[in-house]
Amino acid sequence: MRFFSADTNAQKVEMLKGIPIFHKLTRKEILEVDELLYERVYEKDEIVFEEGDPGHGVFIVVSGRLRANPTHESLRTALLDIGPGESVGELALFDEGPRGATVVAMERTVTVALFQAEFSTLLTKNKSIGIKVLIELARILSRRARQLMQHEKHLPTL
Amino acid sequence: MRPFPQPGAATLLVVILSTCLLLLLFQKMIWLVLPVLLALMLYYSLCPVVDALVVRGMRRETAAKAVCLLQMIVAASLLVLVLLFLAKAGTWQNSFGRYLAGGQNLLRMTTGSLERVVPVFKKMNLGAQIDERVRQFTGGFVEKHLLPITLQLLVWLPSLLLVPYITYFMLTDSARLKKYIIKSVPNAFFEKALLLFSHLDASLQNYFQGLFVLTFLDAACLALGLSVLGIAHAVWLGLAAAVLAWVPYLGSIVGCIIVVLVAATDFPEQPWTAYACLVLFLGVRILDDFVFMPLTIGRKLRVHPLLSVLMLFLGATVAGATGLVFALPLFGVLAVIGETVSQVVTDRRLRARYRASRQLAASYGRV
Repeated sequence: MRFFSADTNAQKVEMLKGIPIFHKLTRKEILEVDELLYERVYEKDEIVFEEGDPGHGVFIVVSGRLRANPTHESLRTALLDIGPGESVGELALFDEGPRGATVVAMERTVTVALFQAEFSTLLTKNKSIGIKVLIELARILSRRARQLMQHEKHLPTL
Repeated sequence: MRPFPQPGAATLLVVILSTCLLLLLFQKMIWLVLPVLLALMLYYSLCPVVDALVVRGMRRETAAKAVCLLQMIVAASLLVLVLLFLAKAGTWQNSFGRYLAGGQNLLRMTTGSLERVVPVFKKMNLGAQIDERVRQFTGGFVEKHLLPITLQLLVWLPSLLLVPYITYFMLTDSARLKKYIIKSVPNAFFEKALLLFSHLDASLQNYFQGLFVLTFLDAACLALGLSVLGIAHAVWLGLAAAVLAWVPYLGSIVGCIIVVLVAATDFPEQPWTAYACLVLFLGVRILDDFVFMPLTIGRKLRVHPLLSVLMLFLGATVAGATGLVFALPLFGVLAVIGETVSQVVTDRRLRARYRASRQLAASYGRV
């Protein structure tokens, strides 16, 4: 018996499995991760987070679209729209540095958020899930770094 | 982990008022408050055990069930012990009288010695005066104080059976409960509220786990010291005194009095044994404050000493014995919650974002 029933269903599992960060996880693992995710709905033009805010987690778009508005010139050309399955704010999982851009919902957008505390829980309590998620996050971050380096020609490709 | 935020003046006032109101409420429903508080302590202490079982491949619910089953066996054993103890009411009433007499004897010997050393005390007739006061207090002590407490315990016992039940649901559903609470927080405050919630949760966990380790260390030191002094049932007395110390200030004093009474009764001709017990308690108290506490609890809920005393008086005035016991822990927790909430709702940027979100939601007809 549970007081707070898990609102997980097959459709939700499929939806989460479609997100690159989680696509390597099994159904059982997805259910475990789902317990740690926070679902949020943003209206069109609603701010998700602002540049300079201390960041604590990553937001993954389930449906709808977000737009990042960085003030930094080099970032402006690299990252703009974040659609379903894509994520924003991954670096905040690893440090508490300020957000690099203001992110706004371009339409009614459903997101799931994974925060530092829950991510740490995942890494310590279920290492197999933690490693899979960590590898996917590393892939996303390295892809972003490469994109950035392609735009900024003076930066060497590492 | 960051230290707890310290509340501002306005928040502090609200927190003090809320504490008093809640203490009044607690007094009315102590039968429910006690098991919930114990369950909370057990939840935070058993969490690492459940997590360790989960890491080893057990499902969280199965791990929680296993841990709670073990906890229920321990609780049932304790219940049987208490019932057996109560069944011997006639015997322990007599024993209690014997221990009180032992204490009075020690007091008489101590005041006698003092009168011999300091003649002023003899002129003041200190020994006779103290003896009279003590006789007045202890005359019919069992009927006046002990029987009502025992009857109250009997009323509470069934409600204590709720403890494993509540702990089980906390162990299995805490993540969902957190999600459920956070769901009600508006988007603008969501990230900050979640962060503060996580800090509060982690700090409470540290506090309760530290409290259990501290109790173990206290009990071990006291048991060892009492064994060396040759006191009977040293382990049980040490454990009882360490658990009593959960009640701020008052608990330590009661624990010390019990042990001194036992020593004074078991060694009526050797008052130095009782004095040694007193010194042992003081020693453990000093060890506790300067070594064990920083090592175990460390980041416990910090309350200013002046506020601690004020809250103890307020608690006792508002809710009697219940208030005295719960005033400080409740105040500590409410101070953290109050400051956390005030930090979130007084952030101008977040408030502006919240207003904008409300306007947007209204314009889309979602309010």
